[in-house]
Amino acid sequence: MPIVQAISERFTTSERDHYTKRLFAERTTTMGAVNMIDADLLRRLNQIVGRQHVSAGRADAEVYSYDASLAVAAPDAVVFPADTRQTADVVRAATRARVPYVPRGFGTNLSGGSVARRGGLVVGLSRLNRVLEVNPAGRYAVVQSGVTNLELQETLAPAGLFYAPDPASQKVATLGGNVGENSGGPHCLKYGVTSNHVLGLTVVLPGGEIVQAGGPALDPPGYDLRGVLIGSEGTLGIVTELVLRILPSPEAVITMLAVYDDHGAAARSVSAVIAAGIVPATLEMMDSTVIRAVEDSKPCGYPRDAAAVLIVEVDGPVAGLKHQAEQIRWICMSNGCREVREAKDAAQRNLLWSGRRGAFGAIARLAPSFLVADCTVPRTELPKALAQVAAIAERHRLAHGNVFHAGDGNLHPLLLFDSRNPEQVTRVHQAGDEIMRACVDLGGTISGEHGVGMEKIEAMRMIFSDHELDFQRALRRAFDPDDLLNPGKITPPDDGAAGVGLAGQAAGFRVQGPGLQDELTPVDVAEACDIVRRACRDGVVLLPVGGGSQLDSGVDSTPRPVLLRSTGLCSTIEYDPANQVIAAGSGTSLAVLGEVLAEHGQWLPVRPPGGGHRTLGGLTASGSSGPARLRYGTPRDLLLGLKFVSGTGEPIAAGGRVVKNVAGYDLTRLMTGSAGTLGFITQLTFRVSAMPECCTAVEASGSFDRCAAAAAELIQSKLEPTLVIAVPDRAELKADGNVAWRLIAGFEGFRETVDSQAAGCREIVDRVGLDVRPRREYQAKSGPCGEFFGLLQRSPFRVKANLPLDKVAGFVTDGEALPHEAAVLVDFGCGRILAGTESLTDEAWHRFCKTSHQAAGHAVLEKAPTEFIKQHDPFGTPDPSWQLMRRIKAVLDPHNVFAPDRVPKMK
Amino acid sequence: MEIEKQYDQIARCNRCGFCQVACPIFRATGHETGVARGRIALLRAIVEGRLEWDRTLEEPLFACLLCGACTANCFPAVGTADLILDARSQYLDQVGRNKLHKLLFTHLLPHPKRLRLAARAVALGKRTRLSDIARALGMLRIFGRDFPRAEEIVDRFPERAFRDSDEPRVVQGTGDLRLGYFVGCGTDILCPQVAEATLGILCEIAATVEIMPNCCCGLPPMSYGDQAAARELAAKNLRLFADGRFDFIVTDCSSCASFLKKYPSLFPEDDPRHDSARGWAAAVRDFPELVASTASGSPSRPMETEEVIATYHDPCHASRGQGIVRQPRELLRSLPGVEYRELPEADWCCGGAGSYALSHYDLSRKVLDRKIDAVERTGANLLVTSCPACIVQLSYGLRKRALPVRVCHIAEVIG
Repeated sequence: MPIVQAISERFTTSERDHYTKRLFAERTTTMGAVNMIDADLLRRLNQIVGRQHVSAGRADAEVYSYDASLAVAAPDAVVFPADTRQTADVVRAATRARVPYVPRGFGTNLSGGSVARRGGLVVGLSRLNRVLEVNPAGRYAVVQSGVTNLELQETLAPAGLFYAPDPASQKVATLGGNVGENSGGPHCLKYGVTSNHVLGLTVVLPGGEIVQAGGPALDPPGYDLRGVLIGSEGTLGIVTELVLRILPSPEAVITMLAVYDDHGAAARSVSAVIAAGIVPATLEMMDSTVIRAVEDSKPCGYPRDAAAVLIVEVDGPVAGLKHQAEQIRWICMSNGCREVREAKDAAQRNLLWSGRRGAFGAIARLAPSFLVADCTVPRTELPKALAQVAAIAERHRLAHGNVFHAGDGNLHPLLLFDSRNPEQVTRVHQAGDEIMRACVDLGGTISGEHGVGMEKIEAMRMIFSDHELDFQRALRRAFDPDDLLNPGKITPPDDGAAGVGLAGQAAGFRVQGPGLQDELTPVDVAEACDIVRRACRDGVVLLPVGGGSQLDSGVDSTPRPVLLRSTGLCSTIEYDPANQVIAAGSGTSLAVLGEVLAEHGQWLPVRPPGGGHRTLGGLTASGSSGPARLRYGTPRDLLLGLKFVSGTGEPIAAGGRVVKNVAGYDLTRLMTGSAGTLGFITQLTFRVSAMPECCTAVEASGSFDRCAAAAAELIQSKLEPTLVIAVPDRAELKADGNVAWRLIAGFEGFRETVDSQAAGCREIVDRVGLDVRPRREYQAKSGPCGEFFGLLQRSPFRVKANLPLDKVAGFVTDGEALPHEAAVLVDFGCGRILAGTESLTDEAWHRFCKTSHQAAGHAVLEKAPTEFIKQHDPFGTPDPSWQLMRRIKAVLDPHNVFAPDRVPKMK
Repeated sequence: MEIEKQYDQIARCNRCGFCQVACPIFRATGHETGVARGRIALLRAIVEGRLEWDRTLEEPLFACLLCGACTANCFPAVGTADLILDARSQYLDQVGRNKLHKLLFTHLLPHPKRLRLAARAVALGKRTRLSDIARALGMLRIFGRDFPRAEEIVDRFPERAFRDSDEPRVVQGTGDLRLGYFVGCGTDILCPQVAEATLGILCEIAATVEIMPNCCCGLPPMSYGDQAAARELAAKNLRLFADGRFDFIVTDCSSCASFLKKYPSLFPEDDPRHDSARGWAAAVRDFPELVASTASGSPSRPMETEEVIATYHDPCHASRGQGIVRQPRELLRSLPGVEYRELPEADWCCGGAGSYALSHYDLSRKVLDRKIDAVERTGANLLVTSCPACIVQLSYGLRKRALPVRVCHIAEVIG
């Protein structure tokens, strides 16, 4: 009975001393001894935030020396800025004094991320605690980073809205912290994690510069900075404000408890449910240890003799939901389930959930301390992973329990121990390491949602090569050249194994082979690496190319660089239909991939302009998406991992093949939309999904105002359209004059749901006074608006405005914003306006940019003749974040070998 | 008990931080020393020898409201408030105590008469503006760091206390029970109108109500960390019950009720007073608890003609102290002509916490502001509660904001 032992064990004084010393091994001094903060800095901090908001006493050091992990290190002072400006001033002061600083929300980090490992300053963000704006029509909210997840939910709920990520710590975890860790939660199975729901960030960069990374309008030009910052665990910048996507809360919820006599059967049911094309909102699993602990502390009706239970919840439109629940019941029962209970009302649902929510608590009563491990494996490997966790815990004589996000393959083994017993602490750490290793060997990763921080820093070497770690260090250097922001986290120290490091490789390349021709098509990664190295040697510029559809996309491409084609890398590398994951070469076209997937009734839900000819690499590098993004997201939301050849000719892997992965910096998102400027993408791993059973377009025509009104209502309703667009109702899509418009709303999914949704949509358009047309079914692969994109693609000039959703209609009716005689497509669902014209005057482009900018959006020149591009800035109105992008480019591509002109710069 | 002996309890905090969600002080300061996790970390640092007893601990230990919200949100249910009480006691022994508190606890609180006299002096002072002069001279500071500012919290000091002698007074009623009415200092001195209302209702359910000549229940010195003084007061009160002549001892102060029920924990089991404390504790009832349990039919006095929208604030010592949550709400819902609206965060501390505002005026105000915001959101015009300290504090908050909301003890509403 290790649990009882753990409680009853008593410790000698010497053991206690030993533990105390271990706790402070990182920094043997607390404040007052060797203090990094000198009188000058302290005075400056007092000036900036006010004396009462600087804490520098011994007690302060003690209570800011920990977070919710086992990591401990005392800071020298804690400072609480009131706003972005003060935060920047504090950072500037610390930088000048060369003192490390660490951002901290409410200190619930589970990997030591908020602990001041090298001492210095803790920047407490608890005063940044205001919800600044809730904009239901724009589907976004603006909050300060010290607002807790639950506070935001409570602000949104009365308006029938919610913010999807719901980490278990949502009561106390701040949204800034959620961003740092890229938090998930039970509902991320259906809705995705934090990075799928953050639209923009206000960030104080190391050094004190303030930049906006994104905002309510999608796709700002250049690199996806917010994507890189999310999950960076407070090592790249301090987030002070967030723009978050908010959604209408679902119309109905059905919660079920599936009871099993064997936890393998429970794990199999999880895969089977997902494989059937159902996307439950949650799929949570608890094992017998946890079930009994819960029933012992606060009974909620779980059968005490069960080996495992699943909490399965489906949510969404009422129509079709019961059918989904029935299907789930059937799948569970045919996978060895004892019984499936359905919550009859809200009270029963709360009771079922109270056990899950109280699970950590129930376990916590069994022993003084517990370690929550956090690893992810492919869903189908869950039975193996659980068996290995049990074996490891037993080997280290540790009691354990499992309560976890089964649908995501995200394990949370809880290991019980007593933190006062050094020997037990050692065993727990060993077991934690072995669990990580086991999950990595099963194709998983070392952290699904709790981060690397300080506790998993050495485990980074389990999953990344020395070159890959070097690349990550380089990225960090681009943000923080002085290594003062949260040092000693995420990236393990460079042990020299990768050679001279990225920056040092500028010295020269010893590569064989002739000079490069105009166009190259490597057939494998080794050849691609060789080409890049030769390009570095010869000072040649490479332009990665897939299908070639973006060749003339808004960049000045003279002198013509050498084209590096991905079309030689066109094989499907791995397809795991049960886990809904596919890995393929970057030269694979969407059409070819689609054929492979169709054999299993699956698809990659992207329908970018350009259609099936687009390659996966090109699609990703350009970050393209069509209007169905409203429902399915973009490549950035669907990519699990990718591989590329870096600017120094090294193969680099980013991400992996599991749906939740927060190990290291999110290079996958950095590469997505980087337009071939940071590397040559060779392979991509996507999450795919079941092909929708039915696709229907509701179409209606009438004035633009009525179309816009219907679109606005649709977007704020409980309906779940896949896309909402409008085009002028004539063949060439010309918007001039008093022309009628056509509104198109697509619905995709199970037939019963789609039918009811389409009916609901028709009611809305009818009420607004539009003429409803006969219903039209379409193919999932092609979508309902391919023809319009074809027409726009052919125009010599193509411009795009990305706008907050609530600013789209105003932009169109402005009358001055759109170029005359333009063919127009208005994407209400994604806040985009595409326009193609035969000609574009300077003034028209300038107006387009200005109006976009004024509406808190941005304009991009997607296509124009070279002469025009030479004289204009294709990336619209300049932004301060462009400087940072250029630093990233300079560090990661030190020889400037990849497409230098495609990084936004002030002309 | 010294905190060194409570290392096991302290070590159960696994630093998850969930106590932060409902700690009114942490929500006001955002500072880790102001929340259970931080306070326990400091105690752990003392036990493990990283910190010593000195003045740096005063603020973390004494800024706690002892409201217990942390424990309600704690997975292993670490009893932080009890640990803090023990730590305060140890702090006073090690670092030193305030002489004035000593005076208050040993010479004033045990003697209701002297207390009433002192109250009359204050009342006189307030009416004659003497207190303004005292404030100007800085004299009031001796009562507590923030006393000069806190002094205005009590709007008007009633001229006369509810009890006017130290002799028991028995009132005949129309019911069956034999009740002892334990009159809390707050009710007696600050809210005599509540005591009148309570007495009226008790007379409906009791054959006899004895207005007890009790002294302070002992909670104030206990909270301050003076456990010996608290024990003395408890022992004094226990003597009033020696012959077990009541079916119940009822009080209309939830704080008193909660502490009276804890009397057994003040005496070791081999102390003869422990047994009598257990008998006493078993007989103690908080007012709403007793009224809800005596099925004397729902009170049905019609309210005023104006529309009454009532809401209810849970005193910490009622909800977490005694688990009394359902009863007052049922009573309010049963009132004819009253619309009941639930108060958001109804069980959050109002910041009154006995004499908390005297030493931590600013913090107390911040906690109160959050409470008043919540009250304002309900749109209620009647705010009901069951503790005089809450009544004084809530009235102050509403007065400062000039909100048209009346604060009442539940006895005043149903009586």
